Amino acid sequence: MGTPLLRVEDVGKNFGGLSALSNITFDIGDDEMVGLIGPNGAGKSTLIRIITSVLKPTYGTVKFKSRDITGLPISDIVNMGIASTAQIVKPFRRLPVISNAMVSCLCPRIRRTGDWVKSVELRARDALEFCGIADLALESASVLSHGDLKRLELARAIATEPELLLLDEPFGGLNQAETTLIAKSLRRLHKGGRFGRLHSEGPSMLIVEHKLADLMKIVDRVIVIDLGRIIAVGTPEEIVRNREVVKAYIGKEEGQLVS
Amino acid sequence: MINYFRLWYRYFQVEVLSIPSRVIALIFFIVIGALPFFTQSPQVLRILILAGIYAIYAVSWDLLAGHTGQISLGHGLFFAVTGYIAALLNLHLGFGPWLTIPIGALCAVVVGLIVGIPALRLRGFYLALVTLAFPIILTGIIFIYPDFTGGELGLFGISRLSPSRLTDTYIVYVVMLFSVFIMYKLTDATSKFVRTGLVFQAIREDEISARKSGINTVKYKLLAYSVSAFFAGIAGGMYAHFLKIMGPSTLELTFSFQAVLWAIFGGMGTIYGAVVGVYTLFPFMEVLRFFPLGDEIRGVLFASVLIIILLFMPEGIGVWVRDKIEITCPRCKEINIARRKRCRICNAQLRLDDQSS
Repeated sequence: MGTPLLRVEDVGKNFGGLSALSNITFDIGDDEMVGLIGPNGAGKSTLIRIITSVLKPTYGTVKFKSRDITGLPISDIVNMGIASTAQIVKPFRRLPVISNAMVSCLCPRIRRTGDWVKSVELRARDALEFCGIADLALESASVLSHGDLKRLELARAIATEPELLLLDEPFGGLNQAETTLIAKSLRRLHKGGRFGRLHSEGPSMLIVEHKLADLMKIVDRVIVIDLGRIIAVGTPEEIVRNREVVKAYIGKEEGQLVS
Repeated sequence: MINYFRLWYRYFQVEVLSIPSRVIALIFFIVIGALPFFTQSPQVLRILILAGIYAIYAVSWDLLAGHTGQISLGHGLFFAVTGYIAALLNLHLGFGPWLTIPIGALCAVVVGLIVGIPALRLRGFYLALVTLAFPIILTGIIFIYPDFTGGELGLFGISRLSPSRLTDTYIVYVVMLFSVFIMYKLTDATSKFVRTGLVFQAIREDEISARKSGINTVKYKLLAYSVSAFFAGIAGGMYAHFLKIMGPSTLELTFSFQAVLWAIFGGMGTIYGAVVGVYTLFPFMEVLRFFPLGDEIRGVLFASVLIIILLFMPEGIGVWVRDKIEITCPRCKEINIARRKRCRICNAQLRLDDQSS
């Protein structure tokens, strides 16, 4: 096996006296779907923010394709091929939904010479279609419900045609049917292919999620964080049976993580 | 050949004649352009020229603050920089206005980039405060070298824009049309040819989100600063050559606030709003001058009109009028005349209450 796609080396983050993350080290391979779970306040979102350079780590490095990307501007990181969705959705509220996705299609990474705005719009529409909100394309983003905004967030991320997709609670605010649908779409995206004008090379994914049952079905590997440390790494089956993980989640040694 | 014209007419019909606000804009510009045929009194022409200059100035503020979200309270800086540079080039080197105004505007672009650098780190009120400081710095520089810059009295003896006031009017009119049109296109988020409008508005809505979409916001913010400074500079240069005097009064806080006032009064974040604001408020103030009222009473009158109008039209007078005459189709988002019942494109019902009747 060659160099991993993403390597997080000994990363730590302190907020004042609080150590949010300490000595986090893990790899994400070229063709992998990884789940990142942990109780509330464990530092999952902080980790995502560090990888996407929204926050700077106190120590440690993040390497993408064996290149150090710690502290690069956010837009450079996106243009290298790391797209991410935020847990708290932040759309461009006064712009139409289609324009929201078009902004992502304007990034230098996927802009081809001679691209006119019309073709950009068509590509954005395909991203929306993939996430199932193409019917809302002309509405202003401020009228969308939370579930639709989550999908818009995903559409904006995949519109940059990433190689690594970091998803912070993609199922949050969706009901069971929608969750299953999005989970299936993610799996399909991971396999790669063309979705209309949108090209997917089968991005690796790092998914932060609280709905464990749905997460466990689609990921190959799970990393568990508690209090800023990695407490377990393994396949979904191993994690469910891991006593330490169960204790971190439920508080006692016995109990079922996934019903 | 005939077919070609027919095509253009068809395009004109679809893009202008079927949208009421554009028809009004067309009529407005034709009236402004035709006004000198009916009256050539120097006062009227003066109001027209100054309103044209201020329209460019207010629209350039709207491009920066209304569209890109970079609130600038020292916009007079760009206006004054070009004014002073044009005046100095004219007085010392004898360059004509055709040379001094573009050179001055390019210098304003440089100043805009300098002001833009703190803007990369600051947001909202903090940015506004910093932009407030720059005109004060320039005022200081002007007062330190009074021999060169004219000090408090300003520079006078600048050559005219053109031999007569009538040609002045038309020069300003044409420049205003072109500048406003270019800025309108640059900030139009739905434009089919220019992408900057979309990016500018995305930066205004959420800068971090724009960066996470892979947009180099630094580049676009500096672009917004330089474009805005360029057009404010053109306005400033024409101002200096029209009044033939350039003093530090344009660096005062009140003058910077004028742009804010006009743009918000007409409707912030819409280019036409700033034009409407200038062409209603500025003549209103000038007309008040004809009546024998004190400055204080005029101020009170002006403030009360402002408050009353913003109370009833919080989004600005331009947007208010637009909402009255236009209705957006709920299905295809095309603009229709307000009295229509069904959309002209997709035939969807425009209002719900029509169903009951």
